Amino acid sequence: MEIKKISRLAMLLAISVTLNIIESFLPIFNGYIPGFKIGLANIVILIVIYVYNFKDVLIISILRVFLVGILRTGLFSPSFFFSLSGSILSIITMYLAKKYTKLSIIGVSILGSISHTIGQIIMAIIFYNLNMIYYMAFALIFSIPTGILIGFLAKEIKKTLDTSIEWQNN
Amino acid sequence: MAKKRKFKKGVLPKLLILLIGFLIIIFLIICLLKKISTPKYKEYTKSLNYMDTVIDIKLYTTNEKQANTALEEIEKIYKHYHELTDRYNAYDGINNIYTINTTQEVKKLEIERDLYNILDYGINWYYKSNGLLDINVGNLTNLWKQYRDNNNGIPSNDELFKISGLDIKNIVLYDDNQILTGNVNIDLGALAKGYATEVVHHYLNSIGLDNYLINAGGTVLAGKNIDSQKFKVGIQDPDNSASILKDGNKDLTLKVSNKVITSSGGYERFYEYDGVRYHHIIDPNTKMPANNMKSVSVITDNAMLGDALSTTLFLMSIETGQEFVKQFDGVEVIWYSNDNEIIKTPGISKYE
Amino acid sequence: MNKNDIKLIIIILIIAIMILIVIAISDNNKNTKKALIYYDNNLIKTIDLNVEETQEYTVEGYNGEVKIIVENGKIKVDEENSPLHLCSKQGFIEKNYESIVCLPNKIIIKITSDSQEQYDTIIR
Repeated sequence: MEIKKISRLAMLLAISVTLNIIESFLPIFNGYIPGFKIGLANIVILIVIYVYNFKDVLIISILRVFLVGILRTGLFSPSFFFSLSGSILSIITMYLAKKYTKLSIIGVSILGSISHTIGQIIMAIIFYNLNMIYYMAFALIFSIPTGILIGFLAKEIKKTLDTSIEWQNN
Repeated sequence: MAKKRKFKKGVLPKLLILLIGFLIIIFLIICLLKKISTPKYKEYTKSLNYMDTVIDIKLYTTNEKQANTALEEIEKIYKHYHELTDRYNAYDGINNIYTINTTQEVKKLEIERDLYNILDYGINWYYKSNGLLDINVGNLTNLWKQYRDNNNGIPSNDELFKISGLDIKNIVLYDDNQILTGNVNIDLGALAKGYATEVVHHYLNSIGLDNYLINAGGTVLAGKNIDSQKFKVGIQDPDNSASILKDGNKDLTLKVSNKVITSSGGYERFYEYDGVRYHHIIDPNTKMPANNMKSVSVITDNAMLGDALSTTLFLMSIETGQEFVKQFDGVEVIWYSNDNEIIKTPGISKYE
Repeated sequence: MNKNDIKLIIIILIIAIMILIVIAISDNNKNTKKALIYYDNNLIKTIDLNVEETQEYTVEGYNGEVKIIVENGKIKVDEENSPLHLCSKQGFIEKNYESIVCLPNKIIIKITSDSQEQYDTIIR
């Protein structure tokens, strides 16, 4: 892998971790409904999906989960596994959606948000065996505004970056 | 990687539907998984009838074997203390309160360490409570029980004050395992349930079972609830068994975890005569059922302390009680006065 | 945002609403209230309290037969053999924290219900 790409991915990774930590300070969603987040870090993941390949996204995503685990939630804690399974399911879904559907970045972002929650719910069932059906319905509804917001932000940021960076020049 | 992707037009809507179908299938699998997998935390319950009360045990654990062992063990503990503190029946192979009270001969009687410890605890509490919590009042409670069972009349002052042998100093303990008989009539009713419950508390801690709720009449031992919530405990109205105490117009609910709530009041074993209710908690000074309040509830960390403390507070005026509890750390109290007023220590707000 | 995105959003909303409807339907018909009868610390009988007509049951107590009457959501001990007849004097109980205790007959009657209760336990 070429140095430019590596350094860009490293920077994107750093930004996504920072966004995640910043989001944990935002009191809007913390505590009201556990697990419902805006998912600011997803902006970075979306951009990476659109400009690099699946392998890169996977690496960035997993590294992000590990870094956030080390920095904030604790490695191998329940929320670490929640995050890991949510992230992996979400990038697979987003990648497939981007590759095989006519959805715009916003639609992809909504699907990413939904699948992130589903991934977490799978883990929650493994860990706590909770009744998640209520949760599921609200997660679906909730994913629409957050998905649109994140998708919109990713689109705009990518547009700005596109003018200054030649992503694929290796 | 820089290549633009080419889309085949007609295929794409189908793929979109496929994708959504894929998500629905995942969701259904989740529901299925939930259905098949037995709930990890199951509730294991048992109701026991010891110490003149119903003991409701609820354990929440993922381990059925542990739960069943624990239920058996808890029953053993309550049964053991029931037998030790029983005033009316003898049991094979043990010297219990009945044996002590009915041995007329003055001699050293060998007793189990567990019984010795409760007696010792009771004597300590006599001094701590300035003589209000008295375990050597068997003769007095017997007299009241006689009237209560006949459901007719109350003992006269003469009868009450000529009762002899009520001095706590008559209880003499030796060598960690002996008591002097012949001059005592012990009633551990105020301590036994709390004491046994605290033994259960220790047992549950020792096996690492954290999620439980035990209600032994006037003593509630609450561990952790399963869904990181607290246990919600209501206080029954002593005047009406179907209703809950209210503070103003909202129900008085205590939200606790890893706490003990104990309550004393004229709830059980009472009778009415001439329109007056005579209950079973007798004031050793007046020799009459205590009449300072309708009930008192105490939140503590220790059932032994809680049970003794709630009885003591019930025997004091509310004002004296408010001073008295200041010596105990982490203890909160709710009094229900004769005028139906709720009086709380400031720290109660933590549990509301 | 394009047309496909809008379609996606609509489909998601429909799924969410369907789930909520299913929950609402499946939740409604669940309120069973039962009385548990214990003899000498063992559960001997469970009686459904959601009955239209008055029903009578007899269980064996320590001092002989204990007659129990069940009415719509309520239960009481009607006749029993004990010195003070405390439990037959107690009358009907209906709340899930109430209980009837017949010490001489070693019989305990408790009420349980599946519906969401305000309290986990009641201290007395």
